[in-house]
Amino acid sequence: MGFLAPWFLAGVAAVGLPIWIHLLKRHKTDPRLFPSLMFFEQREMSSVKHRRLEHLLLLALRVAMLILLALLFANPFLKRTPLAADGKKILVIAVDRSFSMRAADHLSQAKNASLSLIAGMKPGDQAQVLALGGQVQALTQLISDPAELRVAVESIQPSDSRASFGELARYVRTLSESTHLPLEVHLASDLQKSALPPGFADLRLNPSTTLVFHQIGQIAANFAVENVVAPQRIFDPKKVRVQATIASFGKPEAKPVTVKKNVSLVLNNKVLQTKTVEIAAGGRAQVEFLGLDAPYGFSRGEVRVDGADMLPADDRFYFATERTDPRKVLFIDAGRHPRAQLYYRAALDSSGDSAFQMEVMRPEIANNQEFSHYAFVVLDDIGTVTSTLEDALKKYVYAGGSVLIALGPASAAQPRVPVMDESIETASYAGREGDRFLNVSEIDAGHPAMRSVERFTGVKFYQAIHVTPAKSRVLARLNDQTPLVLERKMGEGKVLVFTSTFDNVTNDLPLHASWVPFVERSAAYLAGSGAEQPVNLVVDSYVELRTADSKSAAAEVLDPDGKRLLSLEEATTAKNFAVNKEGFFELKTASGRHTLLAAHADRRESDLSVIPQETLDLWRATGSDQNAPGASGSENQDKKPWPLWPWLLLLLLIVAMAESLVADRHLRPAADRPEIRKEAA
Amino acid sequence: MLQRFLDPKVLGGISGLDLVAKTVVDGFVAGLHRSPDFGFSQEFAEYRAYTPGDDLRHVDWNVYARTEKMFLKRYRGETNCQLTILLDMSRSMKFGSHGTEKIEYARFLAACLAYLAHGQRDAAGIVIFDDDVRNFVRPSTRQGQLPRILHAIESARIGTRTDFALPFRHVQEFHRRRGIVATISDFWDSPEKIIKTVEPLRFRGTELILFHLLDPEELRPKLKHPVLLEDLETGDTLEVSPDYAAHEYPAKIQAHCEDIKARARAAGIDYFLIDTSRPLDDALREYLAIRKGKQ
Repeated sequence: MGFLAPWFLAGVAAVGLPIWIHLLKRHKTDPRLFPSLMFFEQREMSSVKHRRLEHLLLLALRVAMLILLALLFANPFLKRTPLAADGKKILVIAVDRSFSMRAADHLSQAKNASLSLIAGMKPGDQAQVLALGGQVQALTQLISDPAELRVAVESIQPSDSRASFGELARYVRTLSESTHLPLEVHLASDLQKSALPPGFADLRLNPSTTLVFHQIGQIAANFAVENVVAPQRIFDPKKVRVQATIASFGKPEAKPVTVKKNVSLVLNNKVLQTKTVEIAAGGRAQVEFLGLDAPYGFSRGEVRVDGADMLPADDRFYFATERTDPRKVLFIDAGRHPRAQLYYRAALDSSGDSAFQMEVMRPEIANNQEFSHYAFVVLDDIGTVTSTLEDALKKYVYAGGSVLIALGPASAAQPRVPVMDESIETASYAGREGDRFLNVSEIDAGHPAMRSVERFTGVKFYQAIHVTPAKSRVLARLNDQTPLVLERKMGEGKVLVFTSTFDNVTNDLPLHASWVPFVERSAAYLAGSGAEQPVNLVVDSYVELRTADSKSAAAEVLDPDGKRLLSLEEATTAKNFAVNKEGFFELKTASGRHTLLAAHADRRESDLSVIPQETLDLWRATGSDQNAPGASGSENQDKKPWPLWPWLLLLLLIVAMAESLVADRHLRPAADRPEIRKEAA
Repeated sequence: MLQRFLDPKVLGGISGLDLVAKTVVDGFVAGLHRSPDFGFSQEFAEYRAYTPGDDLRHVDWNVYARTEKMFLKRYRGETNCQLTILLDMSRSMKFGSHGTEKIEYARFLAACLAYLAHGQRDAAGIVIFDDDVRNFVRPSTRQGQLPRILHAIESARIGTRTDFALPFRHVQEFHRRRGIVATISDFWDSPEKIIKTVEPLRFRGTELILFHLLDPEELRPKLKHPVLLEDLETGDTLEVSPDYAAHEYPAKIQAHCEDIKARARAAGIDYFLIDTSRPLDDALREYLAIRKGKQ
C-alpha cells in the first residue's frame, strides 16, 4: 500500500479538534432556574468531571470522518497484480509498410516474420495486426482467429508514407490502457532512424508492454532524387530553369567514392534532357536543366536518376507545371498620373517570368469592358467612378477577380473607396520641405503581397488617403497610423488598396528597391485565384478543396491511377483531402480552378540508416523493467497501483450520514427531544 | 374567585378538623374551651359603666332608655383569637417542578387558613410581603373580611427577594393582642436570622407557626447532566454537577430544615415542612392533628 500524496496525511492531526470539542467543551447550556443557590457550591471536581468524553459514538464518528478525509486526499493505493497475471497477454503485430519498405523484398520479409508469429500463437491467444505508415492502421480487432490474422497480414500493401514510431507507441499506450492486459508488441520493420519522433518521450510504452523487434534488411547504399525546383507556371519556356538535387545515402565508405549518375528531365513521359553528375558517397549533387519546352496546359514532369539500387522508387521525383500565356492586366488611368503607368509597367515587365502584359485604358472606355479575361484590374486614382464601372468591377470581383486601387489626390474628395466600400476620412499630408514625411511603421510581412518588400525601407510618403478599415484588413500602416495597404475579400475575389499613388509625386516608392517586389508580389497574389497552393507536395500532405465561401460547389480529385477519390457527398462537403501516394493528382477545387498536383514520398525515407541498438534497448526498456537487458522480473513489476479512493469516499459518506443521525439525536434542542419532554412531564 | 381557592375537596378535608388554640389564652375553635378573656362573642357576661373612648356600638341602649345611664354590654367570647397570615411572595416562590408552583400552593394554604378562621369567627388578616410589605389586610371579624383576604391573596404579585425583618416589624406594630401568626414561606435564609426575626412576636404571647414550603426538586434535585443553575432571586449562576446535587445538596437542605425546626422548637414556635407535591388537605390535616395532639 502506498500514497500518491502522503503529505495530506498531516491532516490527521485535525482529529484533535473534535476531541477538544468533546473533551473541553463547556457545558454552557441555557441556565436552569432554581429558587436559591444557597446550598450549591462551585466545585472543581464538577468541572473536571464535565470534561469527560461525552457522546463517545459521535466523537468516534467525527474522528473517523477526519481520518477518512485525510486518507482520501492522500490518495492511497494498493499494489495489485493485474488480471492477467495468469500469463494471459495480447500479441500486437505491427508491420511497417512505409515507403522505405519498398526496398528489395523488405515488406515480404516483414509479412513472413509476422505470419510466423501468428503460426506460433497458442489457442485462445488474442492478437491484433497493425499496418504502420504515417498513421497506425488497425487491420483487425483483438481476435484469436489465426486465419483472419493471416489474411490481414497478407493484405498489407506498401505505401508511400513515412513511418512514425511515435504514432505506434501512442497507439500501443492507448491499447494497453484500454485492455489492462500485458502487451507483446512485435515490430517488423527496417527500423529506420528517420522514423523516430523528435522526442524520445514520445516512444514511451506503458508498463507490462513487451517490445520485440524484427529487423528487416540491412544498411545499403541508395541514390535518390531528393528535391526538384521547377516553376509552377511557365510563360516563356526558354527562361525556365529546373534544378534537381541528387543525394546518396548509405554506409559511408572508408574512402570517399564518387559515383557517376545520369540524371534525366522527363516531361510528359518524354525525356527532354539528360545530364551526368558525380556524387560522392553520402553526398549530394545539383543538376540544372535550362529551358523546358512544355506544351500549353498542365504537364507532368519528372527527374530521374539512372542506375539500379535497393530502393528504385525514390530514383524519380515528380513535379507539375503549367504552360500559359502571360496574363493581361488592365490599368485604368484617368491621365492624372502619367508616370504611374510607366512605373507600374516597368515593374511588371522586370519580373523574372514575364507573367503579365499590361493594358492601359481610360475609365470611360472601361465602362463597357468585359473584365473576366484580365488577371486583375488596377484603378489608378481615377476619382469618381461611374456606377456602371463600379458595378461591373464588383461583379468581376465577386466572381473571383481582383482589383488593385491606388488612391491619390483625386480620391481625397470622395466619400468612399470605389468597389471596396470603405469610407475615406481625410488625406494625410506631410510637407516635402524640412524632411517632413511619413514612413511605414507596421507591415504584415507574412501576407503574400507583402513579402520581400523589406518594410518599404527608406520610402517617404508625403500624402496618403486615410481610409477607415471597417471590413478590410490592414497590411501596412504609416507611422501616423494611416493605413497604407488594405485588403478586402469579396466573394471569390479580393480588392487591394494602396492609399498613395503609383508615381513619385505623393511618395518616392517607385524610385526605391521595394517597388518591383511589391508590384511583382501583389500582382502574383492578385492574379491567383484564392490562396495559392503549392503543386508539388509530399505524400500525406493535405490539399484544400474549398473555402468557407464555396460550400455547395463540387470539388473533384483524380488520383494517379485515374480513380475518383471523393464520393458524391465528399465532393460537396470535404474541405480538403490527403495526398496518400506518389504520382500526379488532378484537382478541381470548389472555386472551379483546375490544378495538377505532383506528390512525392518524403525523402527522409530514402535514408535507410538503422536505429542504433542502444536506442532500441532504451525504447524496449520503457515498457517494462523486466524487458530491460540484464533485469529480471519481480512481483512488484507486475503489480499495478489500485486506487482506494472510491471506497474511502463511500465509507466517508456512510460515516457522515451516521454522524448526522447521531448528532441529531444528541444535539437537538432539549425541548424537541422526547425523553426530555417525558422527563419534564 | 372563591372557588379557585376554596376547593371543596380541600375544604371537605379541613372542615372536619378544628383548629384548637394551643395556648390557654387563645383558642381556634369555639366551644371547645372557655376563654379566660372576654371577646367579641354572643354570650352576655355583664354590664359596666361607659367611659369616654368606649365604642358606642356596644352601648346597651335599652338600659340607657330605662336608666338614662350608659352601660356597655360585655359578652363571654367563645373565641377571641386573631389570626395573621404572612404570605411570602418573593421570586423564589415562583418555582415548581411538578406543575404547581410554590406560590400557588402557598395561596391555597393561606386561603384555607383564612377560611378556617372565618368559620370560627376569628379575626383574620393577611400580610403579603417580599422584601417589603406589599399588601396588608388588618385582622377583623367584620363582614366581608374573608373576601378581602382572598382578594388580597389573589391580587398578590411576585416580588423580588425575601426579607423577614420589615414585615415582622410591621406585624409587631399592629399586632398588639395575642393571637396566631402563620408565616408561609420557603425560608431561603439562614435559620438563625429567621428565628431571630420572628422570635420577638413570641415574647408577646403570640403563637407563631412557620409553614415551610419546599418543592420536591428543592429537596432532592434530580440532574442527569451538569447544568447551569440560576438563582431566581439574585440572578447568580452556578454550574452544578449531578453528583453534587444527588449527594451533598440533599444533606445540606435537610440540615437546613432541621436547623430551622430545632431553633423554632427552642423558641416555642411551631414549624411544619410541607412538600408541595403533597396534597394540601392531607398536609393541613396532618398539621392540625399534630397541633391537636400537642394540646
